[in-house]
Amino acid sequence: MSIMKHWIVVGTMVGAVTLGTQANKFASIVNPPTRIVGLQAQDTHAAASLLGQFRTSFSALLYLRADLYVHGGVEMRPLTHNEELHGRTGASEAKDEAEKLDGDAAIVTVIPSEKEDFRGIFGDVERRVASYKDMAEHHHQSPTQTLPLFRLMTWVDPQFIEAWTSAGQIILWENKKESSALAVDFLKRGLDQNPESIDILEEIAYCWMKDNSNQIQPAHKFESALPYLLRAKEIGLNNLKTLSDREANSLKDNYRKLCICYRELRQYDELRKVAEEGLNLFGEDASLKMALAEATQKR
Amino acid sequence: MKFTAYKPLARSVLLESLRRKDLWVVAILGFLIILCAGTLGFFGFDGLEIFAKDLAVTVLGLFSTIIAVLTSCRLIPDEIKNRTLYPLLARPITRFDLLIGKLMGAVVVTWISFLILCGLTAIALTVFHVQFNVIMLQYVFAKMIGLVVICALSMTLSIYLTPNASATLAFILAFGTPMMTRGLTMSATSVGPFGKFVYATINGALPQVQLFDIGGRAVYPNWAPVPMWVIGFLVAYGMIYSFAMLGAGWLKFRKQAV
Repeated sequence: MSIMKHWIVVGTMVGAVTLGTQANKFASIVNPPTRIVGLQAQDTHAAASLLGQFRTSFSALLYLRADLYVHGGVEMRPLTHNEELHGRTGASEAKDEAEKLDGDAAIVTVIPSEKEDFRGIFGDVERRVASYKDMAEHHHQSPTQTLPLFRLMTWVDPQFIEAWTSAGQIILWENKKESSALAVDFLKRGLDQNPESIDILEEIAYCWMKDNSNQIQPAHKFESALPYLLRAKEIGLNNLKTLSDREANSLKDNYRKLCICYRELRQYDELRKVAEEGLNLFGEDASLKMALAEATQKR
Repeated sequence: MKFTAYKPLARSVLLESLRRKDLWVVAILGFLIILCAGTLGFFGFDGLEIFAKDLAVTVLGLFSTIIAVLTSCRLIPDEIKNRTLYPLLARPITRFDLLIGKLMGAVVVTWISFLILCGLTAIALTVFHVQFNVIMLQYVFAKMIGLVVICALSMTLSIYLTPNASATLAFILAFGTPMMTRGLTMSATSVGPFGKFVYATINGALPQVQLFDIGGRAVYPNWAPVPMWVIGFLVAYGMIYSFAMLGAGWLKFRKQAV
């Protein structure tokens, strides 16, 4: 009886270890890939703004932390409804992108400026001990430092598409000879987790298009990008009715990139077809129109 | 006030901490720090300076606060529970002296633990070729002063509340005060002068633990060291707030039946 008990214990432990090592195979059933709607971190409600970091998931919290890295530790926040009602304006009130870029002074920091702070010397001291500065004409740090955060995000939440694509962009941003290969390698890991992601497929294609490692055959990069763009297009067309705004934008970009590839590969028939298809889907798009005009002219 | 009595009282707290093997907890936490540092290598990216320092500052802040609260909250209740308070009070010291001596002991234990953690973190950072600068020294010094405030706060709460309740409240105040201050500063733009006065009173009553955290400047590049007058202010504020807490604790403890 005692020996049997031992065998039951050993058997259970072996079973648990075996199940643990095989657990990943059930991931697609237990946690199937889902389309991420987007990060809702910049809520303007006061409580949401204050408690936002608790409300969002851990990976979203890391995403916000990445923003902190880029801004040298200066923490910013959106205006609350109450502040807007009292006539306060921030950078988000800008009419257009140009005004937003010039409107650094309107950026609201979590630690208030001297004139907005009721705390007196406590406020003065906090501005000197914390990473606080006036955001007028502020500069950004190299985003490379945020890479470990993105790796952590994708590790914690493999379905966080924006983390995969942002990290891919940052690796590419380093502009080294091996950057494209590294970014593609990283994004392919994301694609394994999210095989139906238009964004990741499009990003891989973009990384190939920016690849400068093969100077002898420059067309090689467009040939390498093409299968990913075609796959993204296929997924987009199959799910046209359920695409989120971000995915629809990615699909539009995907058509533009397809046009670039076909143009560089001098496949003008394909270029015309793709440009027409894109225009049918997205209406007036200057890039696609130009591609169609070029294809018609070159035929 | 009997200054000669403080040293043996503080020493007894340190010996008790050693007897309870509290420093083993510090060693385990230190092992976690090294483990966290190991994960950086696992991620396999170069140029990790900010991430490594951010992780180090976060871990140091978190663990040192936990140690400070847990060490301080049990001192007086344990003395009462174990009936070891009687021989202490039989000596020619006042109850206020006892509180000061115990607080000094709690501070010494917390500082030793914090410095052990700092040492282990420094080793981990050296592995990742992180360069040390003056702000990091300022960070360690300011944090040590901040830990005195947390110890005083926790010990005072333990006189009014049960050990568990005092620890919980101390954690809420230590970790939640920065958020409460943010809430006050955010909503202050839309209140009148009286509202601002009320806000300033609430803010003044809260332990301003975030002022002792220079971590942001230590982590991110291109920040100047903190001016010396600010360090002086932090020392003065830390001492005043700690004595105020001690006084509040004494008000209850002096009449408490043991």
